Amino acid sequence: MPSRAEDILKGFKVNWMNLRDADTGKVLWQASEDLLNEFDRSHPGMEHEARVPKKILKCRAVSREINFSSVEPMEKFRLEQKVLFKGQCLEEWLFEFGFVIPNSTNTWQSIIEAAPESQMMPANILNGNVVIETKFFDDDLLVSTSNVRLFYI
Amino acid sequence: MFKELSWVRLSVVRIGLLAFLRKFRSAPDQEMRILLLGLDNAGKTTILKKLASEDITHITPTQGFNIKSVHSEGFKLNVWDIGGQRKIRPYWKNYFDKTDVLIYVVDSSDRKRFEETGEEFAELLQEEKLACVPVLVYANKQDLMNAAPASDIAQGLLLHKLRDRMWHIQACSAVRGEGIQEGMEWACRTAKKKK
Repeated sequence: MPSRAEDILKGFKVNWMNLRDADTGKVLWQASEDLLNEFDRSHPGMEHEARVPKKILKCRAVSREINFSSVEPMEKFRLEQKVLFKGQCLEEWLFEFGFVIPNSTNTWQSIIEAAPESQMMPANILNGNVVIETKFFDDDLLVSTSNVRLFYI
Repeated sequence: MFKELSWVRLSVVRIGLLAFLRKFRSAPDQEMRILLLGLDNAGKTTILKKLASEDITHITPTQGFNIKSVHSEGFKLNVWDIGGQRKIRPYWKNYFDKTDVLIYVVDSSDRKRFEETGEEFAELLQEEKLACVPVLVYANKQDLMNAAPASDIAQGLLLHKLRDRMWHIQACSAVRGEGIQEGMEWACRTAKKKK
């Protein structure tokens, strides 16, 4: 008989992710189900590459949105999202969802103000060196990891 | 006809959650939790997306929750939109904890379900975890011809009889972006006072 942890993992899926200009609500990059899941099944723990227009660095605020489904209910669902520059953590979000409804599809969006332009590193330095790492947990059980490496084009 | 009209306005009405939050942040490290409930198809997700200036043309029934977390200089606002379908309502109670303001959304044009929405609302007010939590009611879909005025909705929900909490009713049209910001300003002002 499969364990509860196995059931949770088997029933969990990231459907899509996107990045928006938070002032206009416009989507600047989106990765859909096919890309995310086909890829994850064959390369667990590997990275996605996001080609994002350079102008995202000029945005006063950027939103990151992630949509996921779970077959199993979860009680202590939480997320850790880090923005890493050359492996060094620039920013960290911890978020407690608590309960997850069985057979649900859910969205979490974080909106954050950009650093003042004077403090912003230029695109050519950031290019390919920034990774958004999102880990989902049910209490201490690691349910899913998604890494997205950003390229500014 | 209405649809086309609303499209014209869509490009004009821009609110921006962050700009909005800037007005209300005070002490750093303050956190505010807003819970958005109401029957299915009341317009909860549309309101939330509209607040963030997002496209509202591809919204489908919410099969769980949608959360927007806004972070500005140490101040955090979390808005929780939970699906309103009958099969999901029994799970609402899992999201009551630490709510600063409850927003209840009513489809003002769905007269056949006024009774149902009134019953759900009355049940929420009985919940211990939501005791004394200020409540904002959005009388949504005012752009539709057959929409009941906010005063009728207030009466139907017996808002005037509430004694244990602050309340406010706001007529709005989420698709046109009208009334949404006014309601949110009340919600944030009220939550701030409470803290």
